[in-house]
Amino acid sequence: MARLLINDLPFHATEGMSLLDAARAAGLDVPSLCHDRRLDAASACRLCEVEVKGQERPLCACATPATEGMEVRTHTPELEAYRRGVLEMLARNYPADAPAQIPEAPFHRLLARYGVEPTGHRDPAKADGTHPYMQVDLSQCIDCYRCVHICAEVQGQFVWKVLERGGRTRVEATGGSLLQSECVSCGACADTCPTGAIVDRSRLELGPAAAWTRTVCPYCGTGCEMQVGVAGDRIVAVKPALDSPVNHGHLCVKGRYGTGFVDAEDRVLHPMVRRDGEWVRVSWDEALDAAVDLLRRVKATHGPEAIGVLGSSRATNEEGFLAQKLARLALGTGNVDCCARVCHAPSAAGLGLALGTGAATNSFADIEKAGSLLVFGANPTENHPIVGTRIKQRALRGVPLVVVDPRRTELARMATVHLALKPGTNMPLLLALAHVIVHEGLEDKAFIEARTVDFEAFAQSLDAWPPERAAEVCGVTADDIRAAARIYATAKPSYMCHGLGVTEHIQGTETVTGLAHLAMLTGNLGVEGGGVNPLRGQNNVQGTAQMGCEPKRMTGYQPMDKALAAHEARWGAKLPGPGLDVLQMVDAARDGHFKALVAIGYDVFLSNPDAAASEAALGNLEGLVVVDLFMNETARAFGTVFLPACSSFEKEGTFMNGDRRVQRVRAAVKPRGEARSDQDILCALGARLGFAEAFTYAGPSEVWDEIRGLWSAVAGISYARLEEGGLQWPCPSEAHPGTAVLHTDAFPVGPRAAFRPQAWNPSSEFPDARWPLQLNTGRSLFHFNAATMTDRTDNALLQPTDRLDVHPDDALAHGLADGDPVKVESRHGTFTMKTHITDQVRPGDLWCTFHSKGIFVNRATGQGRDPVTHTPEYKVTAVTISKV
Amino acid sequence: MAIRTKPDHQRYTFEGFGSAKYPNLMLRGAGDLNNWPLAVYESKHEGYAGMRKALQMEPGAVIEDVKTSGIRGRGGAGFPAGLKWSFMPKDTAERKFTRYLVINADEGEPGTFKDRAILEYNPHQLIEGCIIAAYAMQANTCYVYIRGEFLWLIEKLEAAIEEAKAKGYLGKDILGSGFDLEILVHRGAGAYICGEETALLNSLEGRRGEPRVKPPFPAAKGVFGAPTTINNVETIAAVAPILRMGGAEYAKLGTPKNTGTRVFCLSGHIKRPGLYELPLGVPLDFILNDLAGGSSTGKKIKAVIPGGASAPVFSEKEFSTPMDFDAVRNAGSMAGSGGVIVLDEDTCMVQACLRLIRFYAHESCGQCTPCREGCNWMEMILHRIEHGQGRTEDLDLLASMTPNIAGKTLCALGDAACGPMDSILQKFRHEFVHHIEHKTCMVSGHRLLAHVGAH
Repeated sequence: MARLLINDLPFHATEGMSLLDAARAAGLDVPSLCHDRRLDAASACRLCEVEVKGQERPLCACATPATEGMEVRTHTPELEAYRRGVLEMLARNYPADAPAQIPEAPFHRLLARYGVEPTGHRDPAKADGTHPYMQVDLSQCIDCYRCVHICAEVQGQFVWKVLERGGRTRVEATGGSLLQSECVSCGACADTCPTGAIVDRSRLELGPAAAWTRTVCPYCGTGCEMQVGVAGDRIVAVKPALDSPVNHGHLCVKGRYGTGFVDAEDRVLHPMVRRDGEWVRVSWDEALDAAVDLLRRVKATHGPEAIGVLGSSRATNEEGFLAQKLARLALGTGNVDCCARVCHAPSAAGLGLALGTGAATNSFADIEKAGSLLVFGANPTENHPIVGTRIKQRALRGVPLVVVDPRRTELARMATVHLALKPGTNMPLLLALAHVIVHEGLEDKAFIEARTVDFEAFAQSLDAWPPERAAEVCGVTADDIRAAARIYATAKPSYMCHGLGVTEHIQGTETVTGLAHLAMLTGNLGVEGGGVNPLRGQNNVQGTAQMGCEPKRMTGYQPMDKALAAHEARWGAKLPGPGLDVLQMVDAARDGHFKALVAIGYDVFLSNPDAAASEAALGNLEGLVVVDLFMNETARAFGTVFLPACSSFEKEGTFMNGDRRVQRVRAAVKPRGEARSDQDILCALGARLGFAEAFTYAGPSEVWDEIRGLWSAVAGISYARLEEGGLQWPCPSEAHPGTAVLHTDAFPVGPRAAFRPQAWNPSSEFPDARWPLQLNTGRSLFHFNAATMTDRTDNALLQPTDRLDVHPDDALAHGLADGDPVKVESRHGTFTMKTHITDQVRPGDLWCTFHSKGIFVNRATGQGRDPVTHTPEYKVTAVTISKV
Repeated sequence: MAIRTKPDHQRYTFEGFGSAKYPNLMLRGAGDLNNWPLAVYESKHEGYAGMRKALQMEPGAVIEDVKTSGIRGRGGAGFPAGLKWSFMPKDTAERKFTRYLVINADEGEPGTFKDRAILEYNPHQLIEGCIIAAYAMQANTCYVYIRGEFLWLIEKLEAAIEEAKAKGYLGKDILGSGFDLEILVHRGAGAYICGEETALLNSLEGRRGEPRVKPPFPAAKGVFGAPTTINNVETIAAVAPILRMGGAEYAKLGTPKNTGTRVFCLSGHIKRPGLYELPLGVPLDFILNDLAGGSSTGKKIKAVIPGGASAPVFSEKEFSTPMDFDAVRNAGSMAGSGGVIVLDEDTCMVQACLRLIRFYAHESCGQCTPCREGCNWMEMILHRIEHGQGRTEDLDLLASMTPNIAGKTLCALGDAACGPMDSILQKFRHEFVHHIEHKTCMVSGHRLLAHVGAH
């Protein structure tokens, strides 16, 4: 705390405040063009100069710390004349027509405020209209370098560069045009540009926003907070929330620009039922009646166990909760699940078993506190881009980074050690890492002694995996294994995060347990900067599973035996026991025991593996109720009732992100067409099924209050508190600040966590003579999962289709050239896509995204499942390829 | 090897040079191209005696001796070198530092060519100074950031470093002292701004050469984020004789607050241009007339730039100024880099001013708005005055711009442009007025020709 006088008035500056921060906090509009709170002080535009008593010359406020006893003057006539002089310098060559085009741009507001008229012209050669989301006209560049700094310091992409010097200084995108550059389209440059030299196209085409709504991004599980700008009930802009602890004022291409799906032409805007094979538009009453008729009929004839509900991990916590309530209370079935099944169920199960809480132990903020970083089977710069950039920034600043990934991803390229293992060999690698740690005496003996049990048996199981053996199995070097183990065990605290490269294997749960063991072994639990942190895929996949869309778990991911009684008491009814998960539902449908499905925001057919099997099974259903924004593949092929839902921009509620943070989702626009929120739809179905009272809520906050009553870890999180910002559970009381780091003193499983011996159970999908290549699938930066949303935005221009990554050696062996269509065949099916030759993949490995429904990659993926969670083995499929 | 074999025609000496009154500490053997090898330096110039002495002392005592010598930085700012060294953080039980010494050999100030001579004739004196300074600050790596155009000097310096290494003066455990030092030579790429110490650090790290925000100062966070001291070639080379003779002895040279000798670089309309190593405080007119023989053209000397192109000009009444940091500053200019540029009365000061400002407009790194835009604008205005298209209000416009540039930039380049501009405009305003009113040059009488694009 520093006390100073600003324009003769006392001001108390907090630690780390600059004079500019202080003056602005005091309500003084000190102008600046190069300053952005996301960046280090640049001190370059020199507009924020202020007079400080005792200083011979004015000081640059942005770069001067506010210190005790300073006497500052911010707007003396001399300073104002000087500022006007600087603006005149900039205005001399600035296009005269620019201010009228974007009057709200900071530079234009300053010109107006100081009465300076620009007198320059545009140079058509400086315009770049190649990018679908950003328009560039460097005639409007005033060389503040904010784009250069934000691209480097926040995104770490280094697209914008300063060239030349003196009067010829200019900013330019490396690579000629923005589209041809390495730009990842995060839009940070357009967001920070004070003139409009780089501007969102939407600003030029749709005009300025009239109102802004703070909400949470609808894409991945990072949970970035954003400001949604609306004009005339249309989303015209998205900006990052500058003060968000999750994204620190940054967004990725999906969050910032991927809102076009809201008003996509093919969005389903009214309820429909299928009659004689054709979709027919009907009223809500008719559609809801049709759905309820189906569910009642199946329940009457086949029993409640023939019905299932799939909650949506795109929907809010409240809606996830209502989905399970509909299943368990209104339909009497335990068959309720969500798409966590096909992604991070092993993380929840593995961490739940080992440590007691099936969620990230630490926070994203720990990335900045870590002494080293371990990224295991995850590609965050593409799939969790804000987490990715935070890791990248640390790596750029010299923090040791270990990446375990079969592919040479962006982070792998920057890594201190990249373990490019064969897909499916996570377990041997993990055991060898532990082997090195134990055999070199690098384990945290004090932690093991105080906080764990059964270490000896675990240590013995490691004997089978010396690094040399693992090296051979995994296809990496023993030296690299040793180097990685040493970094993780010694550069502490070590932050570990993992993705679907860990979970989407038949050893998914086992591998997550192995990750937990690694953290236990090194004392990286219960400390800031450490932990085991699954990077959750969908915006609310943590939440929807946590809300009880889990066949064996109830609200709060509580085991059924512990929570059933409380739910029964609260809801005043007998509830069913454990039910089927989505894969078991599909199996049961195949076998004819399962007859009706309610699929909320989940394209089962496109997403589940072995599409041929799904097809046969879903065809057996008597009816399938789809709640979605779009006619997805499941609805198109098997749907009988379609209930159009709202996007998250059209409703209120909460999401829960990957670091256990509950954040408010707010409506920015009105529901489109006749679309209704999932909450309204689920309540209407519940009421029609005879549970009107149980499904009547004044609003989402009442649903949330019911959740708080059933799950003590969120009891302290109220909507009123969420207005101040997100809260991380456990947060048991309203006075509790929330929990950033789990397991600081004990584990929910008890004071000590247990090691258990581990072994490797290899996949049956390893390549052989008949199926010599190994297919691995994943996601990319520009698209999200089944691309239901991103394909309906201009992201489709940035990445038009899926491509098959083939190593040059394999391409040569199969006579493939870049771009050649290639047929991929497995034991389960085939698909065809274009070849992309790259040495990012290992020889013998193939990798592709699964975004394009036209290609339908899951026709080729197999039936392998994790034995604990049934999560499919998407990451390992033995295939052959042939040129088409 | 591209080590130069053709002798230059520079003048390095004058009558009395090498006496007790005018000691030769910096230019020993200058002019003799065979002077550079280690054997010569040791046998003829007391080479490495200072280093041997320093390595017997505590590092802190070496800093104290340099403080006692009173030497002020010869790169331009005149900051006491010993004090600068003492800013480097010391190791503590909890924290060990990697420290760097960086030598600024990016000699680019117009009218300055002293470092080049030291590198040419006495590279070992620089190396010896580096060893002493690095030992004093306990830095184990020293970078010499050298002007890219000094290609032949880079090879010579590297050859000298190899000699020192072979002799055990560089590398591990120097002369059994337990002290390690490596000297790495980094070649600049031709930007004046990289002579500014923080721009130099950026350039050394492979970044764009532009000055950094200070604080943090290099002693806290310099190259690669580690504590760093940056010194000019001449400063560090002077450390060798300082240690050899003792700081107290060195301090007897010059004046009490401006001790020692420095190498002045005389150029322009002067009869005997060249390098003059002199104790600080010798009056300018004595140097010009008694040592350098006065004007080379027979015309009166009209103006002198006393400390490199960045220094405001002196007109006749300041010619008696003693050439030390404080006196030159009190006379309204700066001693700077020691580059003394002499202009006779046939010189058009408008044209001279345009030349100077064009240099700064060209060399501005482009980072700070006032410098980038202001220098450019000033150049444009001067250009039109010089080419007969000046407007009456232009002189007020120029005068109004310098306060918006000087002191309003991250580094001193903005000041460096404005100092000469202001001083010339103030002292020779009549020449500008003449250009504007008569469309002819007051000095030559020539009619001023408008150039295409001069608007």
